[in-house]
Amino acid sequence: MEELIPIVVLLAKLIVVIVVLLILPIPLTWLERKIAGHIQQRLGPMRVGWHGLLQPLADGIKLLTKEDHIPAEADRFLFKIAPIVALVATFALFVVLPFGESFSVFDQEITLYLADMNVALLYVLAVSGLHVFAVILGGWASNSKYAILGSLRTCAQMISYEIPMGFAVVGVVMLAQSMSLVSIVEAQSEVWNIVYQPLGFTVFFIAGLAEAQRIPFDLAEAEGDLGAGYHTEYSGMRFSLFMISEYMVVVFMASLTVILFFGGWNDFLVPLPSFVWFALKVGFFIWVFMWLRFTFPRYRYDQLMSIGWKVLLPLSIANILVSGFIMS
Amino acid sequence: MLPLTQTLKNKPTQILSQWIGWAFFRDLASGLSLTLSYMFSKTVTEQYPDKEKWVPFPRYRGHHFLNTNEEGDTNCVACELCAKICPCDCIDVVPFEDLKGNRRPKVFDIDLGRCLYCGLCEDACPANAIKLGQHYEYSCENSEELTVGRDVLMGMPRKSELGGAVFDASLSTIDGVHVKEVENGQGRDWWQDIRRN
Ligand code: SF4
Ligand code: SF4
Repeated sequence: MEELIPIVVLLAKLIVVIVVLLILPIPLTWLERKIAGHIQQRLGPMRVGWHGLLQPLADGIKLLTKEDHIPAEADRFLFKIAPIVALVATFALFVVLPFGESFSVFDQEITLYLADMNVALLYVLAVSGLHVFAVILGGWASNSKYAILGSLRTCAQMISYEIPMGFAVVGVVMLAQSMSLVSIVEAQSEVWNIVYQPLGFTVFFIAGLAEAQRIPFDLAEAEGDLGAGYHTEYSGMRFSLFMISEYMVVVFMASLTVILFFGGWNDFLVPLPSFVWFALKVGFFIWVFMWLRFTFPRYRYDQLMSIGWKVLLPLSIANILVSGFIMS
Repeated sequence: MLPLTQTLKNKPTQILSQWIGWAFFRDLASGLSLTLSYMFSKTVTEQYPDKEKWVPFPRYRGHHFLNTNEEGDTNCVACELCAKICPCDCIDVVPFEDLKGNRRPKVFDIDLGRCLYCGLCEDACPANAIKLGQHYEYSCENSEELTVGRDVLMGMPRKSELGGAVFDASLSTIDGVHVKEVENGQGRDWWQDIRRN
């Protein structure tokens, strides 16, 4: 019996995480439309529920009852599997994410993460690359010029931001002397990393925008010039799987920014439960992502590549050098 | 970035401050602060048809109405001048003599689907009978319903002195879809909400 308890606790945490992640896109779509509206001095959705709060449910019902269309001469297998790859890859990211300090109930220590890997950061960088595969597969399988152009851009974009991103987090690893996300947060209990690593944060955040494929780097989607980019041909449920994974990547990038640079669940001025602080900070960064989206235009993809290679990469390497000198 | 020739003309200190500005994302920050101020400013959305409704100025040419006299009879003397002048040929008048010996329209149909709201019928009318009002909600389920008769025209709302403002309103679907203004005095000047900067 004793041995079973950890497994039960793990399963319970797993279910909570999955349910929360599947529900999160609902308020986030609402929030995104509201923010878009207010930035453009509109009100956003107002008619379904109080201030349009039930609008995402109405949209969900619409998406679920829509025709599930696969274009002629599409690669049917890849077309069907691409949204699932997108969803699985993003779910896998959350395995290592710590949400708060561990606490104990009935002499049983409950940790607020699913797994504390000692190479969590490496895992994150590797698995976040998998999400790109879904985009490439979806665009390739659609047999549509807009979709394939979207995936081609993603391929070009991917290398130019993933390398600076990898280098940008090295500074954080050097400070924490560990690649485990839990120890990185614990290392920040006094001073947050943003104080020591402002440059690392800047590079990481810009690369993170590209990773989440948000404006100003949403080249794969680019409503203006590519219809809807890689998911032009998707409809109904498969389209919503792509949307859910996109919102989850946003949540993940916001959480990772908080964990790496903004002290994770460490409180600031007001003592609140650790996961509340974590949620507040993540919410703030999600809001920043949306704010950026409705402020900036999109970069061309050659511009993104020159930003990645000519600016972000040298800066992130310089950041490692400077941190190394100061620490030694 | 400015072209090179332009950059060379500037003083070194200017160039330096420009580069420092770029390094600290000054241009991006000014864009972000603008959208932030918009995010918390008043919205200009008019919540039609749920909560608000724009009532046009009295000079607006909308749905026709037929003026009535003290006895509640129409002013129209069925002279058919409006039907003659109408460039769209959308008025149909058939005269008859009523019990008091007045010439009145037996049929007075306007096809609102063809009308171009020029207001010529209003100008031509010698009896001050036909007028174009401020009503503009026509939704109906088939185009035949757009041809309205004499009694409907006599019952349409007259010109209102209020207008050129947004009024509180509510949507009602009884007897066709209409948005009814709530009577509470002066409306709101919608244009004032728009930022001018
Ligand atoms: S407004 Fe013009 S088009 Fe319409 S009924 Fe009068 S004369 Fe004809
Ligand atoms: S509405 Fe005026 S112009 Fe038209 S028939 Fe009647 S009186 Fe004549």
